[in-house]
Amino acid sequence: MIDIDVVMPRLFTEGTRDLQVSLSLQPGTLTALIGPSGSGKTTFLRLLAGLENPQSGRISVDGEPWLDTDKRINRPPQQRSIGFVFQDTALFPNLTVLENIEFAAPKGQRDFGQELIRATGLDAFTHTKPAALSGGQRERVALARALVRQPKLLLLDEPFAALDAGSGEQLRQVLLELHKRWGTTTLLVSHHDADVEALADRVVQLVQGRVQTDRLRSELTPVSPVIEPILAITFDEQRQVWVIETATTQLRSTNPVWKQWKVGDMIQVAGTVM
Amino acid sequence: MPIDWEPIWLTLHLAGITTVLLLLIGVPLAGWLALSRFRLKPVVEALISLPLVLPPSVVGFYLLLAFSPTSGLGAWLLKTVDVQLVFSFEGLVVASLLYSLPFMVHPIQAGLENLPVSWREAAYTLGQSPTRTFWRVLLPNCKPALLTGIVLTFAHTIGEFGLVLMIGGNLPGQTRVASIAIYDEVEQLHFETAHAYAALLLGLSFAILLLVYAINKRVTV
Repeated sequence: MIDIDVVMPRLFTEGTRDLQVSLSLQPGTLTALIGPSGSGKTTFLRLLAGLENPQSGRISVDGEPWLDTDKRINRPPQQRSIGFVFQDTALFPNLTVLENIEFAAPKGQRDFGQELIRATGLDAFTHTKPAALSGGQRERVALARALVRQPKLLLLDEPFAALDAGSGEQLRQVLLELHKRWGTTTLLVSHHDADVEALADRVVQLVQGRVQTDRLRSELTPVSPVIEPILAITFDEQRQVWVIETATTQLRSTNPVWKQWKVGDMIQVAGTVM
Repeated sequence: MPIDWEPIWLTLHLAGITTVLLLLIGVPLAGWLALSRFRLKPVVEALISLPLVLPPSVVGFYLLLAFSPTSGLGAWLLKTVDVQLVFSFEGLVVASLLYSLPFMVHPIQAGLENLPVSWREAAYTLGQSPTRTFWRVLLPNCKPALLTGIVLTFAHTIGEFGLVLMIGGNLPGQTRVASIAIYDEVEQLHFETAHAYAALLLGLSFAILLLVYAINKRVTV
């Protein structure tokens, strides 16, 4: 069981209230974290990974404290049993697929790396460098690399955002297969309803850094998507974040894929679940 | 008048030793500057960059005072390790290390700072230490910056004049490097020999830079 109760730092998150998130994750579940851009989803993942510090709070995994600000416990990322798939995959360009995965593999567990390569369908690309891979293949390498240490918690930050429909579907199948096979407790941040519908046991919606709704997938009801044209798109140099404005919404993201958007493109600003 | 090759070899010897030593010192230093959050980092950065803005004669003057056998440091070096840094090749090496330090550190530091932060963070979440991350992930992805640092250091050391003259003087076989030899030949109105040295340095510098640009185009990660 993973128990989280934290007050998050206000990075890109809008509003003025405390950003307090309390959540318990059952072992072996796949929970989707959804919500508008700027609601604190990525910050929450980074905080679990130890890449950001909370203002206060506690994180315990199977009773083991990773974070307890009262007791001044704050384990660095290296001492948390996590796998993290970043928005930009963060594959190391100087290493091949196999080397990227083996870089993370503990000694004596190289065979597991090979097994993951087979499970993610990357056998033909073992000695290929990331620059020569497609977006979908890179995401699969990142997924295999994140799992090679057999982490207690797998964190996926919008892994499908940069993929076309076909690659996205392929990656969803791989992810589902791996999840069924090894049952790693997983937290998935996604803007895509298809991901949530295909993968998640449970859906948690964050709004302005707080849990707005928390439901099992069976409880979800579809709602029509709201699609609007982009009125303006800018890059905030200071915060290193893309800002998209539509008639009703302002969206923010560090996701590099956003640079592909242009004024006039139609985007979905509200979800199809809840 | 036939050209004396000794100043050329001495220059290349000095530039080679300085570059190798600065590579050993500069890479970890650049890594620390690029990745550390140490509060006094700007002070260290300013100290490293000082030779870029100071006239070589100023640096040379203070090093001359520091290395002199009558100063505390100079006397200590002479007594404990029997090394006299003033008017010696060893002194030129030490002075070149200090004077060329920013030419090695700055390009590598800039190269490291331009890498995506997510690479470092990914390595940490994969359980890797900052040291292993630096040597295995960050530095190999900075090859062009590394090459630029090496070449700038080498080329800058070849061209040193004021500092070399202050610290080393003009001792044949010990401190008479090519730039000093040119000055000396001009003083004696041996323009032909001066021209030969100058043309050699010009050709050598051009060849080095050409090599760098050619390699930099081919270096891919």
